[in-house]
Amino acid sequence: MADKKRRRADSDSDSASQPFKNLLKSDAQILKILKSVTSSSSSSTSKPLTLADLALSATCREVSDLSLSSVQSTIEALVLQLTHQILSGQGFSFTVPSRSSSNQLYVPELDRIVLKDKSTVRPFSHISSVRKTTITAKILSLVHQLCLKNIHVTKRDLFYTDVKLFQDQVQSDAVLDDVSCILGCTRSSLNVIAAEKGVVVGRLIFSDNGDMIDCTKMGMGGKAIPPNIDRVGDMQSDALFILLVEKDAAYIRLAEDRFYNRFPCIIVTAKGQPDVATRLFLKKMKMELKLPVLALVDSDPYGLKILSVYGCGSKNMSYDSANLTTPDIKWLGIRPSDLDKYKIPEQCRLPMTEQDIKTGKDLLEEDFVKKNPGWVEELNLMVKTKQKAEIQALSSFGFQYLSEVYLPLKLQQQDWL
Amino acid sequence: MESECPTETKKGKSKTPKKAKESILKQKSPAEFFAENKNIAGFDNPGKCLYTTVRELVENALDSAEAISELPVIEITIEEIVKSKFNSMIGLVDRERVDEELYDDYETAKAREKRLAKEARAQEIQAKNAALGKKVKEHAVSKSSKGRGEASFYRDNGRGMPHDDIPNMFGRVLSGTKYGLKQTRGKFGLGAKMALIWSKMSTGLPIEISSSMRGQNYLSFCRLDIDIHRNIPHIHLHEKRDNKDKWRGAEIQVVIEGNWTTYRSKILHYMRQMAVITPYAQFLFKFVSDAPDKNVTIKFARRTDVMPPVPVETKHHPSSVDILLIKRLIAETSKQNLMQFLQHEFVNIGKPLAERLIGEMGPEFSPKTAVKSLTDQQIVRIHQLFRQAKFDDPSGDCLSPAGEYNLRLGIIKELHPDMVATYSGSAQVFEGHPFIVEAGVSVGGKDVKQGLNIFRFANRIPLLFEQGGDVVTRTALKRISWNNYKINQTQDKIGVFVSIVSTKIPFKGTGKEYIGDDISEIASAVKSAIQQCCIQLKSKIVKKMQAREQQERKRNLSKYIPDATNAVYDVLKEMAKSHASKKKRYEEGDADILRKVSDHLITKETLYEKLTQHVEKVDYEMALEYATQTGVREEPREDIYLESLDDKGNFFDFHSPIFVFRLFL
Repeated sequence: MADKKRRRADSDSDSASQPFKNLLKSDAQILKILKSVTSSSSSSTSKPLTLADLALSATCREVSDLSLSSVQSTIEALVLQLTHQILSGQGFSFTVPSRSSSNQLYVPELDRIVLKDKSTVRPFSHISSVRKTTITAKILSLVHQLCLKNIHVTKRDLFYTDVKLFQDQVQSDAVLDDVSCILGCTRSSLNVIAAEKGVVVGRLIFSDNGDMIDCTKMGMGGKAIPPNIDRVGDMQSDALFILLVEKDAAYIRLAEDRFYNRFPCIIVTAKGQPDVATRLFLKKMKMELKLPVLALVDSDPYGLKILSVYGCGSKNMSYDSANLTTPDIKWLGIRPSDLDKYKIPEQCRLPMTEQDIKTGKDLLEEDFVKKNPGWVEELNLMVKTKQKAEIQALSSFGFQYLSEVYLPLKLQQQDWL
Repeated sequence: MESECPTETKKGKSKTPKKAKESILKQKSPAEFFAENKNIAGFDNPGKCLYTTVRELVENALDSAEAISELPVIEITIEEIVKSKFNSMIGLVDRERVDEELYDDYETAKAREKRLAKEARAQEIQAKNAALGKKVKEHAVSKSSKGRGEASFYRDNGRGMPHDDIPNMFGRVLSGTKYGLKQTRGKFGLGAKMALIWSKMSTGLPIEISSSMRGQNYLSFCRLDIDIHRNIPHIHLHEKRDNKDKWRGAEIQVVIEGNWTTYRSKILHYMRQMAVITPYAQFLFKFVSDAPDKNVTIKFARRTDVMPPVPVETKHHPSSVDILLIKRLIAETSKQNLMQFLQHEFVNIGKPLAERLIGEMGPEFSPKTAVKSLTDQQIVRIHQLFRQAKFDDPSGDCLSPAGEYNLRLGIIKELHPDMVATYSGSAQVFEGHPFIVEAGVSVGGKDVKQGLNIFRFANRIPLLFEQGGDVVTRTALKRISWNNYKINQTQDKIGVFVSIVSTKIPFKGTGKEYIGDDISEIASAVKSAIQQCCIQLKSKIVKKMQAREQQERKRNLSKYIPDATNAVYDVLKEMAKSHASKKKRYEEGDADILRKVSDHLITKETLYEKLTQHVEKVDYEMALEYATQTGVREEPREDIYLESLDDKGNFFDFHSPIFVFRLFL
């Protein structure tokens, strides 16, 4: 029986070991399809809506990029205000916009999460807030120094200025976001950056702090996405689309196979949950190059969650969602329906845990999922079958199946949601 | 000596079937069976034997005192008898070793010589030699007044120990008289008899019993041992003596081989836990040896005079009986017909139910059926029906739990915890036997180690061994989320006390040392009882934390003043610099501040002082608010117990309007 099967497989050349390969048209034909899509999508792009357009600016809060000097003067005004309070013997307190999930709002017209206008008072003379208030004052004074000296530091640097006070980096990072909210500026305007995490490779040329970078000539690993987006500019590309990859493993596969030369594209990954720099970079590419963004994530609730962070923003940083979110990201794969469509063998599928199923069901309640009926359908299928699969499940048909069959076929069929 | 017993057991086991094949059937007396399988009764090794002997005698003493509602007074004395003394006791001449190499302990010969030279250290080495005896002297004395005190060792004895019955009570294994169903302390009902068998096996010395009952003007004295093969007592001396000082109670003296060194802590733990669960008893524990520094004397004082009620004998619940038991009940019953039998020999079967049951049994049954004429098949049918039919649950009235009051006092008395909470569950049922779970949880205390300290009690006796598989241990470790109750499982000193009483405790294993974790009724009752205690504790702990927060608020706030002022001042300083160099313009009020900063009129210290003043003000206001909110709370009052003095009447009372002055003579 097994022998027969193998013989038949042999006679079908390698289409059985790499199923659906025979469905593939020639690359030229696929490119033609892609070009028509790209041209239609780029022509339809209009100016993005803002909160003001929807008359929500009164009830929602948004930050903007501020120049270094205006950050400095905002801090100074705040500190003077504190000094007045202290000298009058009233102690001091901060009014901090609340970033709790009850203060978040998904705006369908904008297709992103924004922060509502609720604030909490953080007084020094209360036992539950004294610590955070002190840390806030400390961070303010550190950012003030950065403004004076006009330098960038990382979040880690900031933490190490007073380890004893901050205790662990989570605390100083959280307060840093609070400070952004208080001052009404983006985190990048504070001159505090996170360490490099994202990488980009493919048909992209841009300038980083004056140096021209050609991402086709960056070797296999690609170019690390620079943490300060304000130094990035002059983007040029002949790519037809941007491919967003969840994981490093799939990224390396595509980079090594030079997938971007077969189908002109830019490949980006943030290796899991995206950091601010990668999100800003993706947004900038999308805005300047006007290319469709296709996402390749795992077929599990977390893959979709990561996709949603690129698309609609995270709750933690919803105050800056205008700058951080990239609208109109298409879910290319791997989608729950692909598991059967591409006959991914049982041994490569994993059963979902209780926690996975719960996360999946929670996602179904989220507005940013509901707005896309295709996603709801896929997610329902995932929760129903209780199966998940990683991108690597495709490797069961050969390591290069992803770049040689799966992606080209997906592109040819324009199979994205 | 230790290795002798197991081999003996093996021999006995392997021989019996062989012999049975080739020759006549040989009968084994119950005493022989227990002598060969003494590990079943907890006599595994000399150390455990000493421990089990102590506990059997203590439990018998408690039972007998409680049976006549007398507050127990129990003295336990363990006396170490070294080899030479033992030899002289049995009349054996202490012989010098001639052929040294003959002995198993030949290697220690040098040490032995030294020992002979130094008599003070003698016992230690001799303890390792085979012939070592220990004496357990047991007094169960109720000295308190009225002359009606009586306590003995025998579990089912509420009446006293009649002079003539003493030999049979000790000298015949399985000679109990109790056939009812009742919550009892003893594990096997072997008690003192097993100790007697062990003394016979290890030292050969007889047991001595003195007893005096109420209404007896004499003292029964009896010296006996047991004829293991015939399972009958072998009486050396049995006489009536004068009871001059009208002493009531019982005293038992037994000489056994034991090992104090290894089981010292177990025995002391046992005594302490016993004191927790029976705070109305007074225990005096003594260990006496030739080395004075090793002697131990501990008194566990009485803390209350409230005793739990005596457990009542109850009838079997229909769902708990098996075929054998039905047969036995039929054999023993005085009722003539089936109808009466069902009504009177079981609980929860009333007349209407009995009629319905008989109707359901089938056509060959009628209410008038003579119960003694039932065939085996008919009995099986009755048993099947009992298993399937629905009966009301048995009530817990026949049980005698320790009671929240006593459990609480016991915990306070022995552990002196910072906080304690107790809970008593309602009666529940497992396989037709009612059970009650009581729990106590304490935090802090004296001689308590960090983390969980688990105290298990079954029918008001402590369980010390095989803690790992026990339902209480597992529940406390795995199913209680201590964090939810603001208790730190690793840092706090937590005492968990769970007492389960039942007409039949579902013990696991041969040693009857733990209750399995697989009985969901008991597991959930234990969990909820512990949780109830934790809920009580939580509110106390939260209040305490609030109070502590009140005390430490000022310190916690002040701690952050330097960091906060530094941060603010650093920015001010920079601003003052740029203001001075006219880089930036500020409004009048702000410019004023910056000028003062430049002129050192406003410094770090200024800010520091202002903040400190503010913190003090806030602290004062909040303390005031806290005080008005909570008010002056009074701690709940607790009854204290003053031990009554021996009112022998030899005192004078001088009465005054406000006090009584009592002068003892």
